[in-house]
Amino acid sequence: MITIERINNWFIENFGAITTEQVKGWFVYNPDEKLLFNTGLFLGLFLVFYFVYGFLRKTFYLRLTYVILFSLFFYYKSSGIYFLLLLLSSVVDYGLSQIIYKEKKDSVKKIYLVISVILNLGLLGYFKYMNFMIGTYNDMFNGHYAFHDIFLPVGISFYTFQSMSYIIEIYREEIKPTKNYIEYLFFVSFFPQLVAGPIVRAKDFLPQIYQKLNLTKQDVNNALFLIIGGLIKKTVISNYISVNFVDRVFDTPMTYTSFENLMASYGYAIQIYCDFSGYSDMAIGVALLLGFKLPVNFRTPYKSTSITDFWRRWHISLSTWLKDFLYISIGGNREGSFVGYLFPSLFFFGILLWGITSYNTSIIPLIVASVSILLFCLSFLLSGKRKQTLVTNLNLFTTMLLGGLWHGAGAQFIIWGALHGLALAVHKIFIELFPSKKETKINFLWRFFSIAITFHFVVFCWIFFRARDFDTALQVINNIGQLTFEPQQWQIIALGYKNVFLLMLFGYVWHFLPERFTNGMKSVFDKTPLLIKAIILGFVYWIVYATAIAGSQPFIYFQF
Amino acid sequence: MNTKSYFFQSFAIVALAFVAFIGFKQILPNKLFSDSKLDSKSVLIDSLLLESVANDSLSLDADSAGTNEAKLGKQKIVFEDNEGIEFPAETFDDYKGYQYLISFYEKLYQLEKNPQNKVRIAYYGDSMTDGDLIVQDVRASYQERFGGNGVGFVSIISESSASRGSVKTLYSKNWKIQSYLNVKKPISPFGVNGHVFFANEKNNATWVQYEAGLNKYSTSLDNPTLFYGRSSKKGNVNFIIGKDTLRKNLSPNNLVNSLKVTSGSIKSFKANFIQADSIPIYGFNFDNGVGVHVDNFSQRGNSGLPISMFDANVMQAFHNSLKYDLIILHYGTNVLNYGTKNYSWYQKGMTKTVNKIKESFPGVSILIISTADKSTKYDLEMKTDSAVVPLMNAQKKYALDTESGFVSLYTLMGGDGSMVKWVEEVPAKANKDYTHFNQRGAKAIGKLLYGQLNKGYEEYKVLREKRSADVSKRRTSKKTNADSVSVKNDSV
Repeated sequence: MITIERINNWFIENFGAITTEQVKGWFVYNPDEKLLFNTGLFLGLFLVFYFVYGFLRKTFYLRLTYVILFSLFFYYKSSGIYFLLLLLSSVVDYGLSQIIYKEKKDSVKKIYLVISVILNLGLLGYFKYMNFMIGTYNDMFNGHYAFHDIFLPVGISFYTFQSMSYIIEIYREEIKPTKNYIEYLFFVSFFPQLVAGPIVRAKDFLPQIYQKLNLTKQDVNNALFLIIGGLIKKTVISNYISVNFVDRVFDTPMTYTSFENLMASYGYAIQIYCDFSGYSDMAIGVALLLGFKLPVNFRTPYKSTSITDFWRRWHISLSTWLKDFLYISIGGNREGSFVGYLFPSLFFFGILLWGITSYNTSIIPLIVASVSILLFCLSFLLSGKRKQTLVTNLNLFTTMLLGGLWHGAGAQFIIWGALHGLALAVHKIFIELFPSKKETKINFLWRFFSIAITFHFVVFCWIFFRARDFDTALQVINNIGQLTFEPQQWQIIALGYKNVFLLMLFGYVWHFLPERFTNGMKSVFDKTPLLIKAIILGFVYWIVYATAIAGSQPFIYFQF
Repeated sequence: MNTKSYFFQSFAIVALAFVAFIGFKQILPNKLFSDSKLDSKSVLIDSLLLESVANDSLSLDADSAGTNEAKLGKQKIVFEDNEGIEFPAETFDDYKGYQYLISFYEKLYQLEKNPQNKVRIAYYGDSMTDGDLIVQDVRASYQERFGGNGVGFVSIISESSASRGSVKTLYSKNWKIQSYLNVKKPISPFGVNGHVFFANEKNNATWVQYEAGLNKYSTSLDNPTLFYGRSSKKGNVNFIIGKDTLRKNLSPNNLVNSLKVTSGSIKSFKANFIQADSIPIYGFNFDNGVGVHVDNFSQRGNSGLPISMFDANVMQAFHNSLKYDLIILHYGTNVLNYGTKNYSWYQKGMTKTVNKIKESFPGVSILIISTADKSTKYDLEMKTDSAVVPLMNAQKKYALDTESGFVSLYTLMGGDGSMVKWVEEVPAKANKDYTHFNQRGAKAIGKLLYGQLNKGYEEYKVLREKRSADVSKRRTSKKTNADSVSVKNDSV
């Protein structure tokens, strides 16, 4: 007979006894336990949230308010008291956007736009870059300013960009403002994309608010497929290889062999892709379950045949944002601007200075600096339309430098951006000089070759992105430079890190699978009955759980 | 196209998946990844450790050790005076054994009185001190206070040469290396560094090149001196300093021989060994002859047990020219991963090691540094590995039994759960393997170690002061028996 006691015992056996302390832990902010989509807590909370949401689907303001409250709670769980910052900045942005919309005079409109941009960037700048600037100042001028004790609110880079897009689009009269603050807050705080993107554009999202909420079977299939893929990418591949291999090598590259450094670089390339795109996919999937369509953020970027192609496939919502609001604002391919000249000049002056000052210890920095300046100059001097190419390249380079800095406050991110900016310029002049190599008309061999080149260039740049600082990045590169062909040694290492290397292989094979194949898998998934889908999803939950519980691999030192 | 609302089905799938997950959790195994056992041939770990673990897997039950410890912890340790100096009594729980470092402290005291004296420390360790981590910070602290320049004795090469910043090493690939880690009967005995090198090749030159690093007090190579062993054949070495080449003969007549490259300080030099194939070569010493010098003898994968294979005569020969005052043994990391919590076998083995050190360096103080904290995942959480405290206690026991000083690195860095904090702190002080410190963490550890050693020294100076006051008062001198200990049972 089923008694309450027996149910209770079964419950305790499977979930453990639940104490008030634990229940409190579910709802109170804990800096060590962020509420991520791949946690059990999110799953539990979402189930309850989603159940009620289904009943509210026919209401409008009630539903919006309900989602806003959950979003704010979600944000509070990730950043504590800073959810007030989100509220505050949304009030200010909403107010400014109303003024800009109602104002008739262009000059006054512009003033308000500038105020809002300064406010938003100022907020982002303070939280993200204050200590970086203090550190740089101290290093350059031997200053002794103390660092501020700043907490970086989760997702501030994302929601700042999102609200900026709203205001700029209103200024450009591409969209009409929302009818009231509630609708605006719903757009800014929508929890699926709140903390890690995709960066949703007002003109894509706002119309969906006013549509009748609808969820089709196909939507749910798409959503589940994305969530399953995202969970595997993020929690299985990315987390496991980072903790057990990549992090260790990048911590102290010189204590590992050249081969381990090389594999860690490849490992990081698949790790960051799986981490980032996996989380994006989950966000898109969760939003879809709620009936909202967010834009695609990654399209198998390592299949790119050129660096230009790469930026059309990598973090698409960011690159289009940067194109529309930064690149075009500073002149695009039409005209030069102060900002467009300032940042590249500063950068090239900086590396030249670095080359000259380190000339006594090594000539390599000077060579690197000269070659990069030469490359940049050639990229417009060789062009048929010199003036226009110069302007375009300067603006593009500025966009990439600032885009690099957006990813994190540190010199290595600037280098990363600069490398990509330079590569984009080089690729453009290459296409101009050899029009036959355009992506649409290349043969198989050339295609294979260009994918390999692009991929390796991107991996090379990731080394700067991942390394703790510039010196560590150089150590990794130096170490890889000393690689010699020793298959026996490689085999020993591969056996030592068997699980890690197998997961990396799995990640890359999955990534490079032909689209036909993934589409085929998708259509098989679509056709399975509801119960089977649930079982598949449940199995993926289990994989996530089993990976999370796996202890980390003990460290190994090899002998050869 | 089906436009009917699918909310209910959607919720049902997510909810059913949750139920399915509970089911899977019950029927499927807990682990997704097998803990693959590696072929021990390809992993750097000392062979004595593997043997001891294999021999001891059948030994005593682990539980009895625990109850003994609780009793032992409160036991009072009373020291007998040494030359009229007696440190206050300690309990086993907070045992530090400053009493047994008196001869080292006295040498430091003499150095402080007369800056022309010198004090030398040999720091034996495992991967924790690889690349001169920790040791370079201890060295700098001592040199800051007591003077001294130079990085001390440096092995010809090691696995960590590339990561060592305090002296840069470049070398040819054709050195033949034997290490006490995995060779039991070396062609020639191991040096004080636990290795022996041979410049083996007939056709190509075997060379090594050193360049001073940027660390404070080690920005030059001071009085570089080559150490090599005995052989029946003679050989030659070319020292290349800048544009000059000095050709010198190696006359391997004694158990340990030394050859000065040049007097004074240089930035870098290269040593080219010619026809030296059977001569055992050990390494170079860099010190300016005054102040404190600390030699880093780190070896990845070492448990400390291989030291028991040292040839005491060779070590004494090293001791005669280098004159050590303190030997530090910092081990433990490599014996944590064997699933055992009973470390009596390790205690036994390390007692042998310490006795070998005593035989090799007669009368020299010995300091045991315990394992640091290390974390392992239990369920979903990283916690202090359950083997850490038992190992630390075993290390304390052999320190006490062999009359050595003791530092509990585990306690010093914060005790239970501290490694998790060191890893997760921003900026981090330890690596993601939850075992090794990074540069920043090593610096902190170096400071903590020096702090504890120095505290003992300051206490020593006070006690010494008191003694001279007493002696002048009573004008009596009595003989004391040096270095002994008695453990009294506290009946409370």
